[in-house]
Amino acid sequence: MAEDALLTELQALRDRVVGITDTALASRDGLIIRADTVDINPDNLAALAAASQGLAQRMAAEAGKGALREALTRGSGGCVAVYPVGMVALLAVVGDEGLDTGRLHRESRVTVEKLEGLLGGSGPGQAHAAAS
Amino acid sequence: MNALRRGDTAAADGASAGPAAPVSPPSLPGPLFEALLDCAARRVSGVLRVAGDPGGTIHLAEGGVTAIETPGAPSPEVLLLRSGRIPEPGWAAAFTAAAPDGDLAAELIKRDLVGAGELEVLLRTALADAMFVLACGQVTGCELDQPSVDYLLPLMPPGGVGWLLAEASRRIQVLGSLPSFITHDRDRVAPASGRLAGTMLGGGQDQVLALANGRRTPRDIAFAVGRGVFSVTVQVARMHASGVLVIDSRRAVSPAVPGAGPASPGPAGRPDGTGSGPERGQPGLLPRRKRAGGPGQGRPAQSRPVAGLADRSALLRLLRPGSGTDQDQGA
Repeated sequence: MAEDALLTELQALRDRVVGITDTALASRDGLIIRADTVDINPDNLAALAAASQGLAQRMAAEAGKGALREALTRGSGGCVAVYPVGMVALLAVVGDEGLDTGRLHRESRVTVEKLEGLLGGSGPGQAHAAAS
Repeated sequence: MNALRRGDTAAADGASAGPAAPVSPPSLPGPLFEALLDCAARRVSGVLRVAGDPGGTIHLAEGGVTAIETPGAPSPEVLLLRSGRIPEPGWAAAFTAAAPDGDLAAELIKRDLVGAGELEVLLRTALADAMFVLACGQVTGCELDQPSVDYLLPLMPPGGVGWLLAEASRRIQVLGSLPSFITHDRDRVAPASGRLAGTMLGGGQDQVLALANGRRTPRDIAFAVGRGVFSVTVQVARMHASGVLVIDSRRAVSPAVPGAGPASPGPAGRPDGTGSGPERGQPGLLPRRKRAGGPGQGRPAQSRPVAGLADRSALLRLLRPGSGTDQDQGA
């Protein structure tokens, strides 16, 4: 089933990279598709990740820095990284202070590719269908 | 070379948690020890990049260790801030003041945020904790990078390699001697069902219990409370033995892939010791850096798992007399 496979990929990423505490797959318009979270409201995370991704994309374009690869928010207690997943979705990764963001960026490539494949196609319909 | 890991089989097939079967503690990775001893003997200054899981970066000054950065153990900053020892605004102000010249330790002491002695003890403990975590982990390669890189809170004078390796060994042996064997970076713990709610356990156990949610390993709990991984793991093991905590699941870790790390594969790039050097042309691998050399420089190092980790003499054999490494550079 597609829904198990999506969650399985999120959980596999958390297993693979030390320091990840929560992950979520959301649509570009801020709706949660799958969440592997605890103590974080997944709907709020999805909405904020989408907003942050959109803003980061415009910032990268405005600054002439090419295609957006990663939107990273650093706090005193850890960080949140948001990655585009194809054209219709995004992956939000929350980590503690020990998370190696360089490693995360590399390791997330496999996950992003698999998620993109599972979501299938590039239409917004697929993302919303997966969310329901 | 895969460091012998307890629970590898269970982790590999994704088996759910059961009672911990007593097996020997994990062995210490040969390439890491060899690289460190070599750096100590040659009084190297620089950074030793350790590829693997969790891997990390060891900062060296004239053969001694000033800092270790690893995702596997909390940094001094985490230990100070997360524990509440230093308030965030105070830290931020000290960091800002120290940023141009880089002496954050002096700034923290000057502002009475922490005492000099206390800070030194904390830095030593953090260093020993990080070395323990590296020693228990998977090491796929070590590469020496020179010159050295700035670090926020270095231990000065540097810690001796001999002392650090002995401390790592001691920690591993202590964990192996506990009634419950908990793997600090794999066992996700949760409260046992049927526990009386509202019962205070004391001694930091309540905080650990509150954070045990079936997703966190002792390493994760350590980061969340700002304590060392070893200390938290001992506590979790005791709480498991007394029935307060259970192992909810185990983090699945894939087998070590040679060269799967930030640096290009070093002499220990292949598990069987063969191979003629780094795999050039592989996407994502950084160019070769100067190796931690020594005898047979350029020849791939043989992976040499240290047998019978519980045997302290196996570790001591690595600390060959006259190499200068078994001389403590501090307490």
